[in-house]
This record gives sequence, structure tokens and C-alpha cells, in this order.
Amino acid sequence: MEALQQFGLALLALLTPVGLFHVAWATLLGIFVGSLPGLTATMGVALLTTLTYTMERDAAILVLICMYVGAIYGGSRSAILLNIPGTPASAATSLDGYPLAQRGEAGYAMGLATAGSALGTLVGILLLVLLAPPLAAIAFDFGSFEFFWLAVFGIVISGQLTGGVSPLKGYIAGLLGLMVAMIGSEGLHAHVRFNLGFDQLNGGIGLIPAMVGAFGFAEVLTVMHRRRAELVKGEGRPDRVLPKLVDLVRYKFTILRSGVIGTLIGIIPGVGEDIGAWASYAAARRTSREKNEFGQGSKEGLTAAETGNSAVVPGALIPALTLAVPGSAPAAVLIAALFLHGIRPGPMIMIEQPTFIYSVAAMLVLATLAIAVFGLSLTRLFIQVLRIPRELLMPVVFTLCVIGPYALTQRVFDIWVMVVFGLIGFVLRQMNYPMAPLVLGIILGALVDKSLRRGLTLTDGDLTPFFTRPISAVFVVIIVLSIVAGLKPVRRAISRLGWFRQERKDA
Amino acid sequence: MRFDSAIADRVTAVVLFALGGAMLWGGFVMDRLEIRQIHPASIPGLVPMILGAAMMLCAALLAWSATSAERKKPDEGSWRNFAFTAVWSCFFAVVLVSRIPFAAATAIYVAGFAGWFMLPDTPSASRLKVTVLIIGFGLVTALAISSLFRYGFLVRLP
Repeated sequence: MEALQQFGLALLALLTPVGLFHVAWATLLGIFVGSLPGLTATMGVALLTTLTYTMERDAAILVLICMYVGAIYGGSRSAILLNIPGTPASAATSLDGYPLAQRGEAGYAMGLATAGSALGTLVGILLLVLLAPPLAAIAFDFGSFEFFWLAVFGIVISGQLTGGVSPLKGYIAGLLGLMVAMIGSEGLHAHVRFNLGFDQLNGGIGLIPAMVGAFGFAEVLTVMHRRRAELVKGEGRPDRVLPKLVDLVRYKFTILRSGVIGTLIGIIPGVGEDIGAWASYAAARRTSREKNEFGQGSKEGLTAAETGNSAVVPGALIPALTLAVPGSAPAAVLIAALFLHGIRPGPMIMIEQPTFIYSVAAMLVLATLAIAVFGLSLTRLFIQVLRIPRELLMPVVFTLCVIGPYALTQRVFDIWVMVVFGLIGFVLRQMNYPMAPLVLGIILGALVDKSLRRGLTLTDGDLTPFFTRPISAVFVVIIVLSIVAGLKPVRRAISRLGWFRQERKDA
Repeated sequence: MRFDSAIADRVTAVVLFALGGAMLWGGFVMDRLEIRQIHPASIPGLVPMILGAAMMLCAALLAWSATSAERKKPDEGSWRNFAFTAVWSCFFAVVLVSRIPFAAATAIYVAGFAGWFMLPDTPSASRLKVTVLIIGFGLVTALAISSLFRYGFLVRLP
């Protein structure tokens, strides 16, 4: 009851003309960013972070959350109309969205995607409000030992689930991220490591320049390298957009299940929206009476995918806020933005800022309402956005990639960092290395480093407590099981059980 | 050119093995701060050594599994487009920015980028018109972005 009251107060505080204006423009911008192939939610949040640093704290976080929610939802537009997911989160959406568009039901598919996204986010918000406070309370029992394993767990599980056909590449990406985090002054004795003779590296690699490079410049290169996308025929005459209530009632269990799956996937560190969508899609197909229609234009499949990916957003914020461990790549940037604006995510958040979680939930609700309104009323506008030539859009995006990181620190060196990470990011993508573990590694590197050495100092060099403390032991068991599950023979056995990876291969 | 192939994996494995080795060695020879009498278990090089060793192990496994690894279908794309984008963007970010005013650098970059891709496909009859439009687009973009950061966010532009 108290939670509801806090949530109501937080919502009221945001319902000002300025607050609503921020919700409107940031969500709309997010939908545009998400709908354009090549512009991802992570890139949108990273670029917008550089534009919000002069804003007041709550307004800045509101804008970033609206961008995040809008971009994840916006990806469905191009998935349905171009058969190219605007963001990786919408890859599953294109499986049924594009066939629906080819049948002349593009408008209805977009309407259904809107309803699924909105309902999925609402399920996630409910779980955020319910789960975040107890998780923060549990995290009070975490010491150096537990935080060390939590960080390792995040990188292993992220590498495992985002590595696609090769978990090894996921682990390598995670290790690369951790190695990047070793550059600069370390957290225990302030000793400068691996600065390669550049004084500018004494403070370490900035997360924002690295993210803008890996997700911004690398995307620009990828988009210009890729073949040009073409709009589905007949998109200029959108059909009925408003979803039929009967469809939503028919798929109520699919929506609820996908919302819960998406949120739970979101809680797992560094896994992200695309896995949430695939897992929800696979679960819906397994239990559906219309299995054969999946992949041919199934409305249930489309609803499951969109509900699943949107529910990941609130889910990813649960560990981000309570443990400072991001549930997805955009949540990682959001953590950096929180620090920039003076909020310290982690177990202390319920002590230092007890109402902040409810403020975030209220921001998510407003963003959800905005995607519902824009999604159902501006279908034609979004189709026009997809017509913007990439030759005009991409140089503008890259210019923002250059000036954005510079604006934060006024250092030209950060532009070079962005360029280097962009080139590395492009090559890694081409080689099918996932980006999420890399980002997670950069974020969690300091935690791994400090927790291990602090724990060893406390135990006078004895490793035993790292394995015998109850929570640590649970983490160790899960990490070992995850790695074993990544081994080829075990994976073959799992795939025989019809695990959701099969869906990704089919795509 | 295929980035996701057995040969590419082996080359990457060699690079990563060397990187891991360098970090392992770097951690090993790193100052142990004895003069500050820190606990030996908290030396700054400890985690880099572990990461270096882990990377060497992963690199070895990558090389070992290179031939048997499952591969995704490669994306078809234009390497010519990629090469121009990479070179022109790097030229803008590393050479133009901080050497000439940011607005001028942006106008040159945006107009050059759009012109390179759009003009060859434009019929010769309308080429002059498209060129003028592209130059106008570059100037407007440069002024808009520069003004936003200079006057909106009070950033001293490079």
C-alpha cells in the first residue's frame, strides 16, 4: 500500500507541463531512433546522455527512460515494414510482422505491436515495483565476495546467452570489456595501470565515448555497409491500426507470460531485449494452438515478441538500480547517466533515495502511455521517417557521435576513443562477437577488481570464503552450470529439448 | 571478405593470445607497491594477470574450435561503401575537428558524405540541383548542431 502511495506521489510530481513535454519529445525521438535501422536504443540513450547533462536530475532521467522505452518499441516499425529490425530487440517481431504487412495488414500489425509493447512494459513495471525493494534488501548482505561473483556471473551469463552460436565469443567479448576496464587508476591504491604513455588514460576509458563508438560509429559503418532496405509494397495505405479487443483478450495469457518472461530475462545481467523477445516468442509457440502460423504472420507470435522485448526494459532496470549491474546494454548507459546526475545506484539506493525506484516506475508508465498514443496515432509519420535516405541521416548521426562525447569532458582525446571503439565494434560485429558482454565488462571491471582484492585482503589471502559463503556458493554453482551448459554436447542436448535458440537459427 | 570464418578465427586467436600474454606479463611486472606496505593479495597487477591468463585460454579454445564452429550466414554488403564511410568519418573526427572550426568541418563532412553516395546515382540533368541541395543540407546541419551545443549546452566547440 505504501508502495502504491509512493508511486502515486512520484507520478503526480511528473505530471507538470514541462514533464509531459519531456515525455512527448523524448519518446517520439526514441521511436524515430528505434524505427531507423542502424540506430539502436543503446546509441540513442548514449547520445542523449551527452545532451542531458545540463538538465535537472529528474528531467534528465525521465528523458533517457522515455528514449529507452521509445526506441525498443520503435524497432517494431521497420521490422514490420522493411523486414529489418530497427533494433536487435525486434528481430523476432519481423518473423510475423513482415508477413502480416505483406498480406496488407501492416497497420494492424503495428497496432498489435503497440498494444503488446505497452502491456509488456506495464507488466514489467509492476514487477519492478514488487521486486526491486526486496532485491535491494537482499543486496545488503552482499560483501566483496558476493559482489565479485555477481559481476563474474553477469559476464558469464551475458556471454553465454548473447554469444549466439558460440558462447566462447561471448566470453571473449566480456573479457575484452574487463581488460578495457583495467586501464587507468585502480580503485584500491589509486595506482595507474596500462595508460600506454597517454596521461589522458590515467582516469580510464570513459564509458560514454566507448559506448557511443561501439554502438554509434559502428552502427553507421554497419548501415552503410549493408544493402539498402526497401519498404513493403502497399505500406502507403495503412489498414485498421487500433487492435481489436477480442485479439487482446484471446492473447491475454500470452501477454502475461511474455511480460513475466521478458522481465525475468531483463533481470539477468547484460542479456537484453532481443533474448527477452526470442524467449517469449518460443514460449508462445510451444503453447499456442496455432503453432503452424508462427513465422507466417501469426498475430500471437507478434504480440509475444513485442510484449517480451518491452518487458525487458523495466526488468533490466531492477538490477541496474539495486545492484548497479545493468540488465541490458542501454541500462548500462543509464547507470553511467545516473552517476553523472548524482544518483548512486546499488543496494544503498533504498536508503539514500527511497522514492527513486517509484519515480522510475512512474517515468516508465508515462513513457508507456506515450508509445501507446504515438504508436496508434502517428502510423503515417513513422512510415515517412523510414523514407529518410541513409546517406543524409548517417553523417548527422556521426557528427553527433563526435560532438556528444566531447561535450561531456571537452577533451578531443574522447573523440579518438570513440573512433577506435567504433572501428573495433564494427570488426567484432562482423565476426559475430556480441556487444552486450563487452559493455558489461567495461561497467563491471572495477567491481570485479576491487571486490576480489578487497575480499582477499579481508581473509588474508584465503580464497575459501569466496566458495563457502551461502550466496557466493549459489553464484559459483550457477556460473559453473552456465559454462557447462555452453559446452557443445550439452548444448546439443538442450537444443533437442527445443530450446529457444532454435528459433534464432530459423530466423 | 569474410570476417566469420575459420581463418579469421585463427588470426583473431593469435591476436587475442598475444593481448592476453601482454596483460599477464604487464600485471606480473606491475609495481607491487611494497613501499606503501599494502597487503600482498591486493597488488594492482592481480586481476590483470588473471584476465590475461583467461584470455589466453579462450584464445587457445577459439583456435582449437575454429574449424568445427557453427557459422551464421554472412551479411552481403558493399565494402566500397564501408571503406569510404570509415576513411571519411575518421578524417573528419581525427583530422578536421580541432584543426578548423567545428561548424566548417561538419559542413564539409556532411556534404562530402551525402555527395559521394548520392551524386553518382543522380541523372546528369538534375545533378546541379542535387549538388546545391546537398551543400545546403551540409550547411544547415552544421549550423544547427554547432548552435545547439555552443548556445544550448554552452560547450566550447573544438
